[in-house]
Amino acid sequence: MLIKVQSAANSGLEAIGVDVEVSVSNRGLPGFDIVGLAGKAVEESKERVRAAIGNSRMEFPQRKITVNLAPADILKEGSFYDLPIAVGIMASVLQYEVPKDSLFFGELSLDGSLRHTKGAVLMALFAKEQGLGNIFVPFPSANEAAIIKGVNVYAIENLSQLAGFLLGKTALQPIVYEEHVEHVEDIEFDMAEVLGQEYAKRAIEIAAAGAHNILMIGSPGSGKTMLARALPGILPRLNEGESLEVTKLYSVAGSMPPQGSLITTRPFRSPHHTISQIGLIGGGSKPQPGEVSLAHRGVLFLDEFNEFPRSVLESLRQPVEDGVLTISRARERVTYPCRFMLVASSNPCPCGYLGHSKKPCICSPREVKKYRKRASGPILDRIDLHVDVPEVDIAKFAENQKASSLSEPSSAIRERIAVVRQKQAVRFKGEHIFTNGEMKNSHIKKYAKLSREAELILTRAGIQYQLSARSYMKLIKISRTIADLADVEYIERNHALEALQYRSKAYELD
Amino acid sequence: MAEHNTTGKEGEEIARRYLENKRYSILEQNYRTKRAEIDIIAKHKGILVFVEVRTKQNERYGTPEETINYAKRARIRRNAIAYVHRARYNGLWRIDAVCVVINQTKGAQRVSHYENIVEG
Repeated sequence: MLIKVQSAANSGLEAIGVDVEVSVSNRGLPGFDIVGLAGKAVEESKERVRAAIGNSRMEFPQRKITVNLAPADILKEGSFYDLPIAVGIMASVLQYEVPKDSLFFGELSLDGSLRHTKGAVLMALFAKEQGLGNIFVPFPSANEAAIIKGVNVYAIENLSQLAGFLLGKTALQPIVYEEHVEHVEDIEFDMAEVLGQEYAKRAIEIAAAGAHNILMIGSPGSGKTMLARALPGILPRLNEGESLEVTKLYSVAGSMPPQGSLITTRPFRSPHHTISQIGLIGGGSKPQPGEVSLAHRGVLFLDEFNEFPRSVLESLRQPVEDGVLTISRARERVTYPCRFMLVASSNPCPCGYLGHSKKPCICSPREVKKYRKRASGPILDRIDLHVDVPEVDIAKFAENQKASSLSEPSSAIRERIAVVRQKQAVRFKGEHIFTNGEMKNSHIKKYAKLSREAELILTRAGIQYQLSARSYMKLIKISRTIADLADVEYIERNHALEALQYRSKAYELD
Repeated sequence: MAEHNTTGKEGEEIARRYLENKRYSILEQNYRTKRAEIDIIAKHKGILVFVEVRTKQNERYGTPEETINYAKRARIRRNAIAYVHRARYNGLWRIDAVCVVINQTKGAQRVSHYENIVEG
């Protein structure tokens, strides 16, 4: 008897159809084999399927069972073939028809229940693209799959329930996607809590408004980390397209919580500086997304920027620039998006007090130079805004504590930013970009029109400070965002002048 | 006959009666060829069953189950395949084990039947 069940394998964010063929023979010694380039997790699936069927008060056939995962030339990895294999084997005993237009996907527990399995969104999307009407997924992963409209998503709790449905004994309704209106806000700091630092706050606001990269340099305790951590509170929510991109990445990475649904808040990733290159960029023999991709459409915060290994920082060059990343390994090549906003913070020197108004810096110029050189020119050149975050005046701080209403709360800033982001979305409609930070040279020519005065200032600055072509373009991008915040179409003199304040000051060391 | 040999014989008798009770029809007992020996060959629900019987007088020095190791299973399987070929059998077959513990008064203290102990 030959039974066919449809499933799929994922390679990066793409899915490939996999036919799970189950042959149950009436000859020879009973046995259970899986062929078709099955990886370790799939090989182990045998034991899970056997126990799960047995523990669901069903008979596991004492026959020679051969499972083939076709096409047989691509490596099958992951635990989600458990369900299609079990469906095929149960069909040989219970004699039900396996529905043809359905995709099965999920990991089994030994007791016959289905476990949360990564990649549900991708599978549902694949089912839709292939014109399969139904997808059977584990109950904890069903909310994820249900994001994709146009496919019936059946949430399966255990094998007995599924068997009952396939036999036509019990009814099962596809789950309906409910748009979650409530947003769980998990914001550590409000901008109002950061005292003083008006200059840095302004820079953060510009960065947030246009999704520009930003580097904050300041002495210990000045509030760099706090500013960065307050960022999620001022960023607008993800739009529909962005949400789906982010949710797909998190689903593939296995970072979706059980019962999780569409991700609508921007990711904020803050890896420790001991991170490896693969951890940051992604990789492995079956390439997984790294931190840069998990920060897609959100923030990648690198605290203590200069403490990261140089090789790790250098590997950021291309992703920062391109917003997509192709990871090539011997067996496969996958592309993950990584359009993130880089937020870095660093001390000005090893002791941390260079430029401090009261504390003396004890570093020699050579030490300072060495410290600064840990982040290379090409990396710093890719960061749009460079901001000094000076120490907080304690006298002022105590005074402000009393009247804490002085600072603007995050919610007010967020509203302002949402307006500016909306304006950008309208501007770049049809260009496949969302923000000023993503503009390529052609976009700049088209959308960032400079007034004559502004152009003059920027050109003169370019010559004076020997700016690279990229830095020059970045200045225009920042000017564009500043002009957007001021709600004007033409970039004027004062916008260009403000943008100039945020240029890299690394050269001043020499 | 040495004591352990009689123990084995008695164990096989107990196993045979046990299987007959379970409606197994016994085809052969102590089937022998030059190389192979199969304790019991029976038919049950259309399936040809090869049964290896393991007997122990007590479980102080280990259980009968423990004596069925990988090499033993491989040997049983080899013997079964030889039989299947010789008999030109073309259906489903499997290998079972019956473990017997007998005490001094020669009564069966425990009989355990394990179905399908070798998979192919």
